[in-house]
Amino acid sequence: MEYLQLFIIILFSPLVNGVIKKVKANMQGRTGPGVLQPYYDLLRLLRKDMVISRVTSWIFSVTPYVVFASVTAAALFVPVLTTRTAFGVKGDVIALIYVFALGRFFLALAGLDAGTAFGGEGSSREMTVAILVEPMMMLALFTAAITAGSTNIASISGAHRALSSPSHLLALSALVIAIIAETGRVPVDNPDTHLELTMIHEGMILEYSGRYLALMEWAHYIKQMILFTVVVDIFVPVGIAQTAGFSGMTVPAVSYAVKMTVLAVLMAAVESTRAKVRFFQLPSILGGAFVLAFLALVTHIMMGK
Amino acid sequence: MNPALKESRSRREFRNEVYLEYGAADFHDVCCSLVKDHRALLRLMFGTDERLRDGSFRIYAVFSIPGQDRFLIPVLQLGDKESSFPSITSEVPAAQWYEREISDMFGLSPEGHPDTRRLVFHEAFPAGSHPLRKDWSITDEEKAVWGEGRKINVPHPFMEVAGEGIVQIPVGPVHAGVIEPGHFRFSAIGETIFFLEPRLFYTHKGTEKHFESFGFSDGVRLAERVSGTDSFSHGVAYCMAVERMMGIEITEKAAAVRTLGMELERLYNHIGDIGFLCAGTALAVGYAKGAVIREELQCLNERLTGSRYLRGVNAVGGVTTDMLEHADDLLRTLDSVTVEYKSMMKLLLSSVSHVERLENTGKLSRDIAARLGVTGVAARASGLADDVRKSHPHLLYDRMIFEAHTLEKGDVLARMLIRGEEAECSISMVHELLESSYRGGLTVAVKRPEAYASALGYVESPRGSLFYWVMSDKEGKPFRVKLRTPSYCNWPAVPFAVHGNIVPDFPLCNKSFNLSYSGCDR
Repeated sequence: MEYLQLFIIILFSPLVNGVIKKVKANMQGRTGPGVLQPYYDLLRLLRKDMVISRVTSWIFSVTPYVVFASVTAAALFVPVLTTRTAFGVKGDVIALIYVFALGRFFLALAGLDAGTAFGGEGSSREMTVAILVEPMMMLALFTAAITAGSTNIASISGAHRALSSPSHLLALSALVIAIIAETGRVPVDNPDTHLELTMIHEGMILEYSGRYLALMEWAHYIKQMILFTVVVDIFVPVGIAQTAGFSGMTVPAVSYAVKMTVLAVLMAAVESTRAKVRFFQLPSILGGAFVLAFLALVTHIMMGK
Repeated sequence: MNPALKESRSRREFRNEVYLEYGAADFHDVCCSLVKDHRALLRLMFGTDERLRDGSFRIYAVFSIPGQDRFLIPVLQLGDKESSFPSITSEVPAAQWYEREISDMFGLSPEGHPDTRRLVFHEAFPAGSHPLRKDWSITDEEKAVWGEGRKINVPHPFMEVAGEGIVQIPVGPVHAGVIEPGHFRFSAIGETIFFLEPRLFYTHKGTEKHFESFGFSDGVRLAERVSGTDSFSHGVAYCMAVERMMGIEITEKAAAVRTLGMELERLYNHIGDIGFLCAGTALAVGYAKGAVIREELQCLNERLTGSRYLRGVNAVGGVTTDMLEHADDLLRTLDSVTVEYKSMMKLLLSSVSHVERLENTGKLSRDIAARLGVTGVAARASGLADDVRKSHPHLLYDRMIFEAHTLEKGDVLARMLIRGEEAECSISMVHELLESSYRGGLTVAVKRPEAYASALGYVESPRGSLFYWVMSDKEGKPFRVKLRTPSYCNWPAVPFAVHGNIVPDFPLCNKSFNLSYSGCDR
């Protein structure tokens, strides 16, 4: 079961994105494509030929694999249905953040590699956002880690202290903002834009096509689902199983599905009601979230819980 | 009333057009003094090749003086051996593109123009080839090279800014979305735009030359296809010019139908544009709402005329269908549109994050707007009360109740608010039009124009003032058709509006001007 959790994330991540898109479309008064559309898109891209610029180096071809591998490795850290994860004691929040950073590093390099204006812009913006998001995310996760007395995601989740204190609430808010930034959503980035001058994540992958693009997109879906999973693991671990094996997995599976749907709808609602902020004002939003995360830690130390 | 101008060689008055012919030095002085001393607006400037008629080229500069319904048109007569004329750009910056285009099209170079690069033609177009000369021809070989687009016949160096930390960002002409082609060369410091040079005219189709191969009556179809969302305005302006030149008056009913079409076109454009601004700020709900209302209005257009873009209504001599007959449908649709439109504006203006993005973004100062001859919404948002419906009343506008709304700030928000106010105004004007009945049939008989007769046609299209100038040859066929779209006036202002903004805000600024590439490039 613990190894199967990996495949749950890999296989269902396009579905989560499909749900977000569907809800967004409905909020705009459109019918929108079906929730399975991301699967069709991936299939279509996997079958297509690739167009690769002559000026690119090996970085460009290696990056899709590195990015995909890094998120898959990250998926092994997080408990989905049971707190027994494939990496067991090594499933650490700090490691998780750094595995993501590896993917991001290569993504930014690949953005620069083709030498186009938009790739470079995307990379530079992505790094600016990363500098603001990473420490905030780490601080928010630390708050939860201190409560549980461990930086292991499974142990935090196993500690079963769902939203037990004000410090947790603060940390949760910070983490949700971090996730919006990490997954390239409004108000930080716009995943649906065709305006190349405004792109962050889309700008970096603008040169990719075919199979590589499919890997990039899929990796992005997986990363999004991992982040969602981390949130529910740490802050609402209700219903998660503590055992390995297949028996008694119905309750965890149902509760997980419900939690994912709620998060997906929340993301869609945030995206539909906000306009994107001006790029130079990002630090004030993300800085605000950093303060939330910091307060979470301070609250925890002062109140002792 | 009449500005004191230098004595002209000859003077001809035709309706509200005053043609004053000058020699080179006087032409320059008169144009400059009109702008400097009389605050005249340069509406358009163009050349003609009248060598077949009397052996000369002519350059016309059309000015209008605020508060007067008259066009003062200094004309410069050049002998067939002359190849240059004195540039007025240094004193009248609004003339910058017109003069470069005259140089491209007629081979008459503006002497003293600060920018002597070609404007319309790109590198592959043969050097020394000037299509609007009557004796122009192009060999198949040249055509093939031109079509290929690779060979550099005339280099086009971009203006570049050098210095520490300045990066060049080339964008386009092929974009990530389905939009018209245009190349933008940014010189940015980090994310801040220091300088922008647009390169346009990728969609130049030689429309003015094409008009010369049609009859005057068939030309309407071409005029309607110059720029999609301004189809009706182009139709009206073209027909108006031809009718004035032929000396015929359309009926009151035809004028009412045209006025109605103009306002319907303004309405669907303005509401659609307000929605499109949301694409720039990623406010998906606002974007969707705008698109829905615009769609309802375009469906209405289709029910009224059979065309979503109101094409096929205008004809020389009047209109082909009576849109006023559908008053019930019109009123019903407008009522539901009004409700939806109000709720959309409420949503947009109450979204702090949206308004915050629009405020102080893409500011165009009143001074620069005036000097560059900016027109339409962009001019009114920067405090210039320029509206051809008011300054040169035509159709039924002299008896309609409306205002030329202006705001002072000149930012993206101001341009959005002006559109909003004008859209509401258009709705009430449609109601007003439907209240009365109008005399006359739909069309009047077309006359054969006199030899070398000419006239202006003008309307306030959704994007701004739109001008046509037509001239007949000795058989009564089109000799020259000049068209000046609002986009052509406003494009040069965009680099000034985006200066100091950040690169990711460029699409938003650009969208707020809503310029047509096809209309500009022709």
